[in-house]
Amino acid sequence: MFLPQNTQEVCDIVRQAASQGKALVPCSSKEPHLHEGSFNPSAEIISFEKMNQILKISRHDRYARVEAGVTFGDLLPALADQGLRATHPFLPRAGKSVVASMLEREAVLVPKYQYDYTDPLLTTEVVYGTGELFRTGSAAGPAPYEESAADMVNPWGPGSVDFARFLCGAQGTMGLVTWATLKAEVAPADSVLTFIESDDLASLVHLASKLLFHRIPDDCLILNNVNFAAAFAKDPSEEETLRTKAAPWTLLCRISGYARSPEERIKIYTGYLRDECAKEGLTFLYSPRNLDGFGSRADQRIKDCDRNEVYWKLRRGALRDILFLAPPSKTAELTAALSELLAAHPAEDLGLTLQPQVQGRAFRVEADLYCTEEAKEKTCLLADAAEAALFAHGALFDRPYTTALSQLVFGADPIAAAAQKKLKDVFDPQGIFNPGKLCF
Amino acid sequence: MSLSRDIYTQLEAIVGAENISDKEYILAGNRNRTPEYPFEYHTADAIIMPASTEQVRDIILICNQNDICFVTTVSGASADAYPNRGGTLLIDLKRMNQIIEINTEDCYAVIEPGVRHVQLYPELRQQGFSYAIAAVGPGGSVLSNFTSTAGENHNMYGASRANRYLLGMEYVTPEGEILRTGSLQTGSGWFCPDGPGPSIRGLLRGFYGNHGQMGVITKAAIAILPCRGPRDFTLEGHTPNHKVYQNSDSTQVYLFNCPDLDAACEAILRMGEVEIAASVTKFFYLTLAVMMTDSANAFHELWPRIRRELPIPLVVYLAPESTEELAYEEKLLFEIAEETGLVRAASDLENWFRCHMDFFMVVGMLQRVLRLGGGWMPIKLGADSVTHMFEVGKSVPEFIYKYTENGTIFDAPDNFQIAPMEYGHFAYIELLFMYDRTNPEVGKGVAEFRQASRDTDIAHHFHAETPGCLNAVTQQLGPLYMNYHLWLRKLREAFDPRNLANPILKE
Repeated sequence: MFLPQNTQEVCDIVRQAASQGKALVPCSSKEPHLHEGSFNPSAEIISFEKMNQILKISRHDRYARVEAGVTFGDLLPALADQGLRATHPFLPRAGKSVVASMLEREAVLVPKYQYDYTDPLLTTEVVYGTGELFRTGSAAGPAPYEESAADMVNPWGPGSVDFARFLCGAQGTMGLVTWATLKAEVAPADSVLTFIESDDLASLVHLASKLLFHRIPDDCLILNNVNFAAAFAKDPSEEETLRTKAAPWTLLCRISGYARSPEERIKIYTGYLRDECAKEGLTFLYSPRNLDGFGSRADQRIKDCDRNEVYWKLRRGALRDILFLAPPSKTAELTAALSELLAAHPAEDLGLTLQPQVQGRAFRVEADLYCTEEAKEKTCLLADAAEAALFAHGALFDRPYTTALSQLVFGADPIAAAAQKKLKDVFDPQGIFNPGKLCF
Repeated sequence: MSLSRDIYTQLEAIVGAENISDKEYILAGNRNRTPEYPFEYHTADAIIMPASTEQVRDIILICNQNDICFVTTVSGASADAYPNRGGTLLIDLKRMNQIIEINTEDCYAVIEPGVRHVQLYPELRQQGFSYAIAAVGPGGSVLSNFTSTAGENHNMYGASRANRYLLGMEYVTPEGEILRTGSLQTGSGWFCPDGPGPSIRGLLRGFYGNHGQMGVITKAAIAILPCRGPRDFTLEGHTPNHKVYQNSDSTQVYLFNCPDLDAACEAILRMGEVEIAASVTKFFYLTLAVMMTDSANAFHELWPRIRRELPIPLVVYLAPESTEELAYEEKLLFEIAEETGLVRAASDLENWFRCHMDFFMVVGMLQRVLRLGGGWMPIKLGADSVTHMFEVGKSVPEFIYKYTENGTIFDAPDNFQIAPMEYGHFAYIELLFMYDRTNPEVGKGVAEFRQASRDTDIAHHFHAETPGCLNAVTQQLGPLYMNYHLWLRKLREAFDPRNLANPILKE
């Protein structure tokens, strides 16, 4: 395993590997690793755990620049100290790399701040397969990094190519990102967390999409009762109680007020929420109907990352997840189809999280098949079959972590896959980064 | 050089005789329309107008078989949309002008390249939707502004640049393959720009578009946005003396003068932090005076007053969902204005915006900027933080006075716009100058002025511009931008090995 401490060392490692024809796979997060993106038996690991500096936080211009090894556990308190927050996933692992999360297209909790699917990622520094260094967006120049007067927050380019887009969803196959700049947002001065419960997923999907189209809520996501319980239970014994008492589906919406007259904004936006709920025949509550007083607990938990010794998704031992993206019009239908495909899996072990993204224009659906280590192989076979069937229904699997799924999605359009191989050949001509992954 | 009869016949068979021509008088009408720009221009060997993606593919395959360069054009406003060498086929996409789908549930529209703003915007507005409509006037190609040019608009503060909203695309590669990007790649529809793995979308649009150098985009989905303001508005009179009012009691426009650039910067950032306003722009004062007047005489009457009263104009458009929220936004706006020393403009000037609300929609009076001598040019055009863009703006006096004083450019040294995006996360700067395009001597001074601007930015280590597609400027600037030009060349070689798609750079 390589443990570089700075960018120069990364360049040296890559040049040496290229000259010797050795493969490398980047790893930025602490264990456990939920997916197989950074698992490659034919490659040596280049770990970024020693590149863990927060390079800059700008309160004035609302951004942070972090090395690849910086985790949510490191960053969130540092931002909070300056009155800022990150647009982060729902209850991310404390040990999860912030940079890896953005590159891996993880869903974010506050989708009103997402204008594009790459948000909150701004600029990056990357080492390509030739060992050459590159910086994307306004970090590219015209001055060297150390001398630049720019804040290096413009994510696009340089020029007519969106270089950062080649790195997202690439599972480390296109280059090694050493640092990234990300948007930070002003932390609300006050907020209320609301719960909208229903047994009809379609109405919640429609509501969430409409609310975000008008940028009404901050935090916004839908949980089924299994993941509601998994996320918020204090311990395994409470989980069953919560699962039983929670509604089949709960939409969580946070309405925020900022530094000036926060209560006034909350009042106005709560009114909008009420109006939109009414159009769907729904109502919002400040605590789930059968869990009186639970709201403030959930509120507190959501504001930080998951710092438990065992990550909330791994409390039952093992997990196989299914991750896909869908437009609002197909989200409920595809989720229902998935539930049917997974009928052989115990319902109490099937967690579902639906997160609206990019101001409600799409939903990231995460199905968590909880199981024991002993049952994992069987669960994976079931999940593989479900993914194949769902793919045929039109689900977009833009984060394929298994070989079977990669073959399926890249096999769908050989012309596009050939174009992606051309890109790979430009930036990693010897194919040393994470070989065998995706369509490479 | 002209096409051989055999090749012409093959092309004619694709589109029909009425959609191809090599007649001199037809080609003469399709030459570059900005001859004052310092580029080398040529007349196309022929002009062809395909009607479908498949026809575009077939044309490009013939180009590849016969080593014919091709350039695509729609509205023809860009110099790069015309041949820059002999032996070039001009592919005019104006027949591909269908709005294929408007999907209000998934919030996108699928369009062909020939669709104009004046065509799409009314369709969406009457349904309560809008999009990142470039401030180029009603005749601009929507798809081109999203994919191939900059696409800056007047509403970026509460939304963003057009490239943020580009979704699935269908395009023909320089070698003649039909490629579908994003969610289309796996048959999942138009809604997402990125499919599995590294996104091909990155190849087609960065900060700028690639001006057709990576192929021909034949269909694109763009995200549609909520209409900020009412669906309906009232039109009075006829252009150029028309007025447009919004029928709403929950929208309002305010025009301020800022005491200095720091105040403007702070006001923008403070508004962004509390997420008020739909549009905020530190606008061009010269352009404002030109747009407010309908004759040269009227301009010269107004201009001294604008210089005196509005040297740093800040336009703020409030368009919340309710009258209650409008009152809330106004309260916060005036609080911030007081803190930062902003001063309300005289009511007649402010009222000009209130009765020209098309400024925030399809801008119908843009052609007026051509009035002062006919020559105008935007420079810098880069983006970074709001603070950094104002730093760049503050450096303009270091190089501009030489050129205003010697008459190279119109004497308006502060005529730059800083348009924030995404509630102040970034901003974009555009220094717009006007000159007499009929005077060849001025042309030399203009080139010197542009270089002086660039030299000042480089000396200060400012990110005030970024290179574009593969052209001479990119070759010059590339080494300062992480050897961007070399990476771009590698990409071009991978996707256009014969160098046929709008090869601007002379080898």
